[in-house]
Amino acid sequence: MKFFIRTPQQRAPRLGVLKDIDNRPNVEIETPLALLHTQGGHIPHVTHEVFKLVSKDPQILQIPLVSMHCFRETMTYYDGTISEFIGSTNSLSCLTLHDPSNLTKQGHHIRNKVPIWTKQGKVLYDPEMYMDIVESFKPDMYCLLSDGDTNMTSAQKRISKAVENTISLSRQCLERHKKSVQLKNTFVICPIAGGYCLNAREKCLKALLADQDELNGFLVDGLHNNGPEVEFLPFEEVRGVVEFTIKNIPPDKLCSMQGCWNPLNVLKLVQLGVDMFDTSYCRILTERSAALTFSMEEEEGSESYEINLRQSKYAYDFTSIMSSCQCLACAKYSRGYIHHLLTVQELLAPVLIMIHNIHHYLKFFKKIRECIENDTLSELEHLISDQYKSHQEKILSGKVDEEELQGFLNNMGDIEF
Amino acid sequence: MLVNRNPLLFDITSECKTTKARVGKMVLPHGVVDTPVFMPVGTQGTLKSMLPEQLDNMGLQIMLANTYHLGTNPGPEILKRAGGLHKFMNWDKPLLTDSGGFQMVSLLKLAEITEEGVKFQSLNEHKGEVMLTPEHSVEIQNAIGADIIMQLDDVITTTSPDYDRIKESVHRTTRWLDRCIEAHANPETQNVFSIVQGTLYEDLRRRSAADLVKRDVNGYAIGGLSGGESKDDFWKIVHLCTDLLPKGKPRYLMGVGFAIDLVVCSALGVDMFDCVFPTRTARFGCALTMTGQISLRKPEYAKDFAPIDKDCSCHTCRTYTRAFLHGIVSDLPVACTLLTEHNLAFQMRLMRGIRDSVREERFPEFVRKFMLDLHPDRDYPSWIRESLSAVNIDLL
Repeated sequence: MKFFIRTPQQRAPRLGVLKDIDNRPNVEIETPLALLHTQGGHIPHVTHEVFKLVSKDPQILQIPLVSMHCFRETMTYYDGTISEFIGSTNSLSCLTLHDPSNLTKQGHHIRNKVPIWTKQGKVLYDPEMYMDIVESFKPDMYCLLSDGDTNMTSAQKRISKAVENTISLSRQCLERHKKSVQLKNTFVICPIAGGYCLNAREKCLKALLADQDELNGFLVDGLHNNGPEVEFLPFEEVRGVVEFTIKNIPPDKLCSMQGCWNPLNVLKLVQLGVDMFDTSYCRILTERSAALTFSMEEEEGSESYEINLRQSKYAYDFTSIMSSCQCLACAKYSRGYIHHLLTVQELLAPVLIMIHNIHHYLKFFKKIRECIENDTLSELEHLISDQYKSHQEKILSGKVDEEELQGFLNNMGDIEF
Repeated sequence: MLVNRNPLLFDITSECKTTKARVGKMVLPHGVVDTPVFMPVGTQGTLKSMLPEQLDNMGLQIMLANTYHLGTNPGPEILKRAGGLHKFMNWDKPLLTDSGGFQMVSLLKLAEITEEGVKFQSLNEHKGEVMLTPEHSVEIQNAIGADIIMQLDDVITTTSPDYDRIKESVHRTTRWLDRCIEAHANPETQNVFSIVQGTLYEDLRRRSAADLVKRDVNGYAIGGLSGGESKDDFWKIVHLCTDLLPKGKPRYLMGVGFAIDLVVCSALGVDMFDCVFPTRTARFGCALTMTGQISLRKPEYAKDFAPIDKDCSCHTCRTYTRAFLHGIVSDLPVACTLLTEHNLAFQMRLMRGIRDSVREERFPEFVRKFMLDLHPDRDYPSWIRESLSAVNIDLL
C-alpha cells in the first residue's frame, strides 16, 4: 500500500489517496479519511453483515491490539490475515496499540516494554513480541510500538522518557520490519511522541526521520490518554504541537491522529494537514445514547448538533433521527422506537444508533474531501462550528433540562464497556 | 397486508403416512407461514440484537412478542399511535403475541387469580395493584396488532397436584375465551387462538379441548406444558391433545423449542412452536448443532478454525471460525448477534428438514437419522423411544 498526494501544490488542507494495495489493484481509498474503529475486529455493536447495509465502499479497519491480544497465540496457528480472521475479508486493516475510545491507564512503565490494558489485565509488550504479532496478523498498515503516555499535564521528566522510549521501541520494530519478508509491502506508521513540548517533539522527529525511507506515514502520538475526554480537548492547546510536527515530517508521508476528536476539531486538524483519523468518536456518542444530527449543508438546517434518544420527549416521536439522512436507521426506524429500545435496555438500540453515527461520520469525511476539492472548507467549518458551539454552550450554561444533563453525565461515567 | 375474508387460512399440503406429522401453509394478514414452524421470541418488540432486515434475509416468517412487556413498555398508547407493533419495529411479516397471563404468574410472585382476571402488583413507578382481565389483555393485543393473539388463560404450575384447582382453571380458561372473543376489536385482521389447559390430567384435557372446539377460533394452543413435568408425562399429553383438536386448524405447542422436542412433537402433529431458548442460549455463548450444543467459551475452541457447523449456511458459519467466536463470546455485544443468527438459522434449518422430509415421504427416516446423530451410541431416552413408537417409528 502506498500514499499519494493529489493536491501537491498545498501542504494543508490536502487530498490524498491510498492505493497499490496487495491483491487489491483496483481499490483506492481517499484521504482525509476515518479508519473504522473496532473492538474484536468489529465496529462496536455492528457486525460486518450489518455494516454492509451502511456502506459498501472499501474501508480500513482500525484494529487496536488491546482488543485482539486474546488471539495472540491463536493467530500463530492461523493461515490467513487478520481481516480474514475477523470475518471481513474485503476490508483493509490497520493495527494500532491502544483503543482510542477507552481511557488508557497511565504509568506502569518498564524498560523496553509498553503496558496495554486488556480485559484480563496488564500485558507488557516489547518490540519482539509486538513484531511477532504484527507478522502473524499481517495487517495492511500498522503503527510501530511507542510510548504515548503523555498528556497536557505531563511533567518534563515523563515527556523525556516517553520520547526516549518511543525512539528506542520504534527503531527496534523497524529493524525487524526491514528483515521481514511478510511485511515487505506493509504500510508503516511511525509514532512521534513528546507531549506538548516542542523540544521533545523535535528530538523524537530527528531521531526517527533518519529512517524515513522505510516509513509511509506518521502518527502524532502522546497528546492524550484516549477515551471520551478527547472530545473536549481545546484545539488551541493541540494546535502548536500538531503544526510543528507536520512542518517537520516529509510532505509526501501520511499524517495520522487517533482519538475521539469532535467534528469541529477534525476540521481544524485537517486544515493543519492531518490525513487520517478514526471513528472512535462514534462509539462514545453511541454509549451515551446520542445520535449526531449536525447538518453539513447550509440549506439543510438542523435542530441540534446531537440528540440524546434516552430523553422522554422522544417517546412519542415517530420521525427518524434525521429527516435528511439516508442511513438504514433513519430510513426504517423512529426516534420513538429507539427510545423504547433504550428504555428497556435492548441490544438493538446501540446497533441502530451506531449505524446512524457511523454513516453520518463517514458522510462528514466525504464532505470534507469535497470541500477541499472545491476550496470551501472554511464555510463547512463555520457551519459546524455554530452548531457545535451552541450545543456546548447549552450544556455548559445549564440551559438544558435536567434530564438531558443527567443523561449526559451518567453516560460519560459508564463508557468503559 | 393481505386482505382475506378470513384472517387465517390453513392448508395442509402433505401428511406423513406413518406418523401424525403434517406440512401446511398458514396464510395470515402479514404473510405466509410454512408449518411446522418454530417462532423465535422478540419479547420487547425486538429479537435481541437482530435487525428485522437480517431476519427477513434469513427467511424468517413469523416471530412472537410478549404482551406483558409491551403493555408495560412502551405501552398500548404509544403502540396505537405508532400504528401497531409491525410499523413500530419495522417487521412487516406475521407476528404472534401471548396474552400476558403467563408472565404475570411466572414473573410476579404476588399475582392473584380471580374470576375477573389476574391481579398483580404493578412493576411501574406507581406500584399500584393492577388487574389484567381477558378484555384488557385483548385490548392491549389489539393495540399491538399481531396476526395471531392468544386468549388470557388461567395458568397453573404444570406439576401442581391440586385436581380441583386445575379443574377450575380449565373451566375458567373457557369462560375467559368467551370474554376474549367478545372483547376482540379486530376479528378481520387478528386471530384469537384458544388454549387447551388441564396440566397432566387426561380427563381435564379432554374436557378442555371439547369445550374449546365448540367455540369459533382459527387455531388452538396446547398450554400448561414445558413447566417442569417429566418428559414421559409431557409427550403423552401432547399426543392426546393433537388427537383431540380438529385436524384442519393449526396447533401451537407453547414454550417448546429444544431440537429433540421439535422433532418428536412435529411427529405427534404439532404445527407451531415458540421458545426463548435458542436466542437466550446464544447470548450465553452456546451454539446449536445437529449433534447437540457447544459452549464456545470453552478453551478447546481457541485453535479450532472450523465453523460452528460445517453444514450450516448461515452468515456466521460462512464467515467466522470457532476460534474467533471463542475470543469475543463473553466480551462483545456483536458476539450475541453472531450466535443468535446461527441459532435461529439452526432452528429454521431443522424445521425445513422436518417439512421437506414429510413432503418427500421420508419423515420416519429423517427422525431416525436425527436421533442417531444425537445419540450415536443408541442410548435413546425411554420417552423418545416410547413417544416415537406411539406414532409408529422404531429407532435404529
